[in-house]
Amino acid sequence: MPSRILGRPGEKVLLLGNEAIARGAVEAGLGWASAYPGTPSTEIVETLHSVSKDLGIHVEWSVNEKVALEAAYAAAISGVRSLAAMKHVGVNVAADPLMSSAYTGVEESLVVVSADDPGMWSSQNEQDNRWYGLHAFIPVFEPYSPAEAKDLTRDAFEFSSRMHHPVILRSTTRLSHTRGPVTLREAKPPVAKGSFKKNVQRWTVIPAHARRLRVELLERWGRIEEEVEKLPYNRLEKHSGGQAIIASGIAYGYVVDALNYLSLRDTVSVLKLSTTVPIPRKLVLDVLSSHESVLVVEELEPVVETWVKRIAYEEKLNTTIRGKDLVNRIGELTLETVTRAVAGFTGAEYPWKPAEAEITLPIPPRPPTLCPGCPHRALFYALKRAVNRSRVKAIYSGDIGCYSLGVMPPFEMQDALIEMGGSIGMANGFAHVDEDKMPVAIIGDSTFFHAGVPGLINAVYNKSPMLVVVLDNRVTAMTGHQPHPGTGFYATGEPAPMVKIEDVARGVGVKHVATIDPFNLKDSEKKLMDAIRYVAEEKKPAVVVARRACTLLIDAAARRRGITEPLYIVDQDKCTGCGICYNAFSCPAIIPLKNGKAEIDPALCTGCGVCAEICPFNAIRLARKGDPEWEKLWF
Amino acid sequence: MKALNMVLTGVGGQGLITLAATIGRAAVLEGTHVLIAETHGLSQRGGSVEVYVRLGEVNSPLVPPGGADIIASLEIIETLRNLRFAGLSTTIMTDERLIRPNIPGISVPEVEEALKQLRSTGLRVMLIPAYRLAEKAGSIIAANMALLGGMLASGLLEGYITRSSVEKVISEMPARWREVNLKALDLGYAHVEALLGRR
Repeated sequence: MPSRILGRPGEKVLLLGNEAIARGAVEAGLGWASAYPGTPSTEIVETLHSVSKDLGIHVEWSVNEKVALEAAYAAAISGVRSLAAMKHVGVNVAADPLMSSAYTGVEESLVVVSADDPGMWSSQNEQDNRWYGLHAFIPVFEPYSPAEAKDLTRDAFEFSSRMHHPVILRSTTRLSHTRGPVTLREAKPPVAKGSFKKNVQRWTVIPAHARRLRVELLERWGRIEEEVEKLPYNRLEKHSGGQAIIASGIAYGYVVDALNYLSLRDTVSVLKLSTTVPIPRKLVLDVLSSHESVLVVEELEPVVETWVKRIAYEEKLNTTIRGKDLVNRIGELTLETVTRAVAGFTGAEYPWKPAEAEITLPIPPRPPTLCPGCPHRALFYALKRAVNRSRVKAIYSGDIGCYSLGVMPPFEMQDALIEMGGSIGMANGFAHVDEDKMPVAIIGDSTFFHAGVPGLINAVYNKSPMLVVVLDNRVTAMTGHQPHPGTGFYATGEPAPMVKIEDVARGVGVKHVATIDPFNLKDSEKKLMDAIRYVAEEKKPAVVVARRACTLLIDAAARRRGITEPLYIVDQDKCTGCGICYNAFSCPAIIPLKNGKAEIDPALCTGCGVCAEICPFNAIRLARKGDPEWEKLWF
Repeated sequence: MKALNMVLTGVGGQGLITLAATIGRAAVLEGTHVLIAETHGLSQRGGSVEVYVRLGEVNSPLVPPGGADIIASLEIIETLRNLRFAGLSTTIMTDERLIRPNIPGISVPEVEEALKQLRSTGLRVMLIPAYRLAEKAGSIIAANMALLGGMLASGLLEGYITRSSVEKVISEMPARWREVNLKALDLGYAHVEALLGRR
């Protein structure tokens, strides 16, 4: 992997959009990169991690996006070319330093990558972060392909350096997670060390300074508006047909393909926009004044469309301007939706006719699911029993992570779920207004460090009775196994100081702190019931840490090291077909047979053995013992 | 070069992203333009996976409904789910393996019913027992390569990527998987050659 982004100049390699962004940063002489993992942004800094030693640059997984951006900002104002990457909702977490970074500007490049998720493939919303650019006065660059992502990232660093101003590089899921050929160019030697020059007038935004900085910001914005006109990524492909399409970011690729399929590539003009904030006014004016009608194609919100209409109004042009009346505003753009919009705009005929293949068979859905051997499944099972046996009514306050899948049957134990760290934050509110119920906050290890800790401090201070269950699977699992402050290692594999969740909880004043192994159901159930009793009686928060590593890590480690995993089978004579293992516990490795009895798929079984604990008829037994080394892998 | 549109489908963990990346690297070796759109994140956890591979003169990553030249699948329910991508001249290459979605109490069709439904569409269908062939090659992990072997033998990738460039890409994989992948590729290739009466 690392070798691919560190290939020779001139070499053409297949890169994921996110890898291309990482390579672009390397070509620009990047010295600092920080991020909190979040789909679809994760691979940018993951890739930079893989080359950090070769290049001698600082790359880190930060505790959250706010810290990632603050640290990158500090590096940038100390003269180091810096990058902070995050998913779109991560920018909300980092919005505070983002706004101020525009006021002060920077000494060297600061590129903030916002990877938006139109279509909400793995997110809670599809906010369009180009608004942040308008809101904060930070230019937004939007590439359309992996190859352009590499070049535009490199040039975003140059632009930021030249203007002494941060730049937002906006990617989307379909760019970040698209692979394409990328030609590598010469990389500048990285500079990882800088020197901060004290200048309180510039670097402290106390009101007296901020008032002056705001004036300077608007002056600088005027210069930025001039500069974006000169970027070669914005270009007008002019034809004489009287119709033009303005396409921003990834929309350009769809528009070109649509025009090719509609045989209109040589008729309809295309203004390719890679800087959507600020918009290159002269180019837009050229399009508006030389065409009768213009279609704006952009993903999500009508950001460009609004500006184009404003320019037309200010210049008193009566060009027809269309946009979101033809292009979908909800969900991502697709070749289908863009081709339909372009066909509607031009009057051409939509080219694809699906086969008339009538499907009468009901096709069952296949939502994502907790993996076989996932410790979260065992925890949900034990927690549900503990809550029922304690005779409390629980509000399961949910959070972002693999355990969000607990919203699905059979557990249905995520009653409210809005954002990172919200489980504990919301529990503070539930605790005081709905006293008939007990808030049970369910939060992962990485999420706890990210934004859970302030909520827990609040619960101690404001005496909010709640049970906080921290599902510590020793890694940031959902985004692909990145380390965090609780894991004790870095992305390079080197050992790191370990921050213990129990120590944090006790340190902020939680008096009832317990640790459980979710694979030990009986003990887990008992300790969860103890904690519930404490919360009910003492009216204070309790924390239970459920510690078992992500099964995928163990599976991979066992395979790599040739360690045999245990294997369980169902004794068909003892199985009564009660369905507890495949319905109530719902392990994907347990398959219901036609007669209702259970069978274990040996290819899927990870040997966790929890099903054998829950089977009321002792019908599930060990078929193959695991290596003694296997148990040690887990902790 | 006219665009060739493929939809690769199956269940998270079956190796579809590796399959697509193998095609992509082979395309780069051949100097063929390629764009591959993948699903990451939540969808990895045993959910449906769709990967779009577009070869030739392409500027954007997705395949429109009705616009697939090939639908290649490692799981039969997912094959049926993705028939919306089929146009009049689409070739479907699929394993008949069925994996039960992990939903309590869900009703799942029989393999025979699914095959009957697939054939009733009148589309060109090639059954490739990728899992069985991969097992024969040494590990079911290579089912993706058996499927790719079949795709190469079908002739539909001609002019875009060659078998030898795919073999070159596989030979750069970690040593422990190289042999089994090459063997699976070969078995998939031979299977489709036999289907087409060339062997």
